[in-house]
Amino acid sequence: MKKTILAVLTTGLLSLQAYAADTVKIALTGPYTGGSAPMGVSMRDGAKLAIEEINRAGGIQVGGQKMKIEVVERDDEGKNERGALIAQELSSMGDLAGVIGTVNTGVVLAGDKYFQEKGITKIITPAAGSASMTQWSKAGVKDLSIFRFSADDGIQAAMVVEEAINRKLTKVAILHDSTNYGVSGRDDLLDQIKKQGNKLQVVATEKFNIGDKDMTAQLLKAKFGGAQGILIWGIGPELAAVSNGMAKLRMKQPLIGGWTLSMSNYIDNAGKNGNGTLMPQTFIEDPITPKVKSFIDSYHKAYGVSRIPSPMSAAQGYDAVYVFAAAVKQAQSTDTHKIKDALEDLRDPVKGVIATWKQPYGKWDPANEQTHEAFRRAQVVMGMVQDGRVVFANKADRQRLIKEAGK
Amino acid sequence: MYTLLIVQLAVSGALMGMVYALIAYGFQLTFATSKSINFGQGELVMLSAFFSLTLIDSGLPYWLVVPGGMLFGAVLGLFVERTAVRLSLEQKGEGWILLTIILGLLGFSAAENIWGRDDRPFPTPISSDPLHFFGIDVTPLELSVAIGVLAVMGLVELFKRKTLLGKAFEAVSADRDAAQLMGISATRTIQLSYGLSGLVAALAGILVAPITTVGPTMASVLILKAFSVAVVAGLDSGFGIVLVGLFLGALESLTSFYLGSGWREAPGLVLLILALAVRPNGVFGKASIRKV
Repeated sequence: MKKTILAVLTTGLLSLQAYAADTVKIALTGPYTGGSAPMGVSMRDGAKLAIEEINRAGGIQVGGQKMKIEVVERDDEGKNERGALIAQELSSMGDLAGVIGTVNTGVVLAGDKYFQEKGITKIITPAAGSASMTQWSKAGVKDLSIFRFSADDGIQAAMVVEEAINRKLTKVAILHDSTNYGVSGRDDLLDQIKKQGNKLQVVATEKFNIGDKDMTAQLLKAKFGGAQGILIWGIGPELAAVSNGMAKLRMKQPLIGGWTLSMSNYIDNAGKNGNGTLMPQTFIEDPITPKVKSFIDSYHKAYGVSRIPSPMSAAQGYDAVYVFAAAVKQAQSTDTHKIKDALEDLRDPVKGVIATWKQPYGKWDPANEQTHEAFRRAQVVMGMVQDGRVVFANKADRQRLIKEAGK
Repeated sequence: MYTLLIVQLAVSGALMGMVYALIAYGFQLTFATSKSINFGQGELVMLSAFFSLTLIDSGLPYWLVVPGGMLFGAVLGLFVERTAVRLSLEQKGEGWILLTIILGLLGFSAAENIWGRDDRPFPTPISSDPLHFFGIDVTPLELSVAIGVLAVMGLVELFKRKTLLGKAFEAVSADRDAAQLMGISATRTIQLSYGLSGLVAALAGILVAPITTVGPTMASVLILKAFSVAVVAGLDSGFGIVLVGLFLGALESLTSFYLGSGWREAPGLVLLILALAVRPNGVFGKASIRKV
């Protein structure tokens, strides 16, 4: 009897080891419930779509064999303390090839130090807060295992200010929420206004808390200050409260802000009051090329929706998996350190739905975070809310992307 | 122009204040009869709003959803009274404090599991397009809150004054032991007050849901404000609660304009401290006479 148990146990262990050795284990983390869930769920589902495609084709060619991708999912609920716990758990797993995900900048700041300590390769997507990467340059880290696959707030703030200037606005109000994300967004905006020649006069800088529904006071300050436009940094539900408040006070000024204005819980809760709102986007749910069309169609089909909750999170999750897979293939290993080295010097271009990624990253240089940032200004366009969807705000962007994909 | 601005701020704030008042009124109803309150009242508001949303999703028209949701709230109120309050009152204990908190937590977890953790919009036939009155912008939605609050409070007060059952209610509130000696069942009356309190909470949830959206945490901020209103006004006066609610709402709105939006929560707390320091029975409360 004892022998059989022992035999069962050993075969069990052996098969477990065998199982572990022929898969590439990737963790997908993000808020799958709560206020940021539209981004987290879309990112996860987009990533899983890519993983399914890779696995259906047999997996990634590593050494002499094809390895399938195995997924570990963790819901951080958008809470910093949950994020820290999950990062500790994942970084002690030992056989993890890498981590993809995280939506909230606060969660990045709470958790990423554990990955960096163990040298586990992580691609942050779609968290955009500047601090996610600048924390490492400020600390002067020499060797970094954290990469980002998202248009950082610096690029976004630059575009928001640019848009306001292009629209010939001279007086604007800045509204932001009181989280890490909102406050750093405000600083980025003020910084960009200065950089772009102080053409905008800020007549009011107002904040609001998560859960606030009455924005009358903040909006009246903007209105009576003579603001011709509102620049905003926050997340879905509160952004909707701002749009609804503007409609109540008959404020017709354009609302321009971070990409969170494309979240479904903004678009749904603001309804028709959201029309015309502008925000930077890395991906628009518009089938402009066959590749984009097949991505959108397969997302709709796989998850039974007619609209992706957060299209750019989905597309970034999808492309991030392909970039990661390319690094595994180049490294010819599931060792997370080797994958990091490969990511820093990716030789073959990776065809994604957002763009074709040629050498997205370089060797980490603490003096220049851009070495671990994949997105540049060219990959980001202005989006606009129209009847419950995000469309291209400028026709020229649409034409440009079609042309680039044709090359 | 400037006065218009102040009036606009005060009106917008005061309309939100009406919701605080309605929830505070729910505290007042049960406190009057039983000297106990439901610390899970916020969850009652939230659960009733979710239930009403489910009714709407099932295709019921709005005018049926409102009484349906209120009935659900009343049943929840009765459930709280039976499970958390009755036995502990019979034993003249304070067990209801912990038990109502626990029931609230239970309700919160139940909501998260049944309806999920996301904020959801609450569709309503009442328009949110602004109306213009003397230079002030108000939405019909906000007006519906004010009308609903005043109507239900008026009806309950009328019931307390004009009907036999209502008079029993007042008698138990005035002196429970004496009322019992007169043949009035205190248990029944307390039960009634919890049912009414649940009904009022449900109405508050339905009225405020189109503005705040529906989610498990929708009432967590409201309930704290309602506590402040109840304590500042005193737990004896129904109309005092409305006045303090209006005042606090307007004050919050004005504070966040003049002192900055970060100070929004401050006036409620300052009022609470002031009231407790100067008039511990509330601005509209009766001084308690304790026989020695």
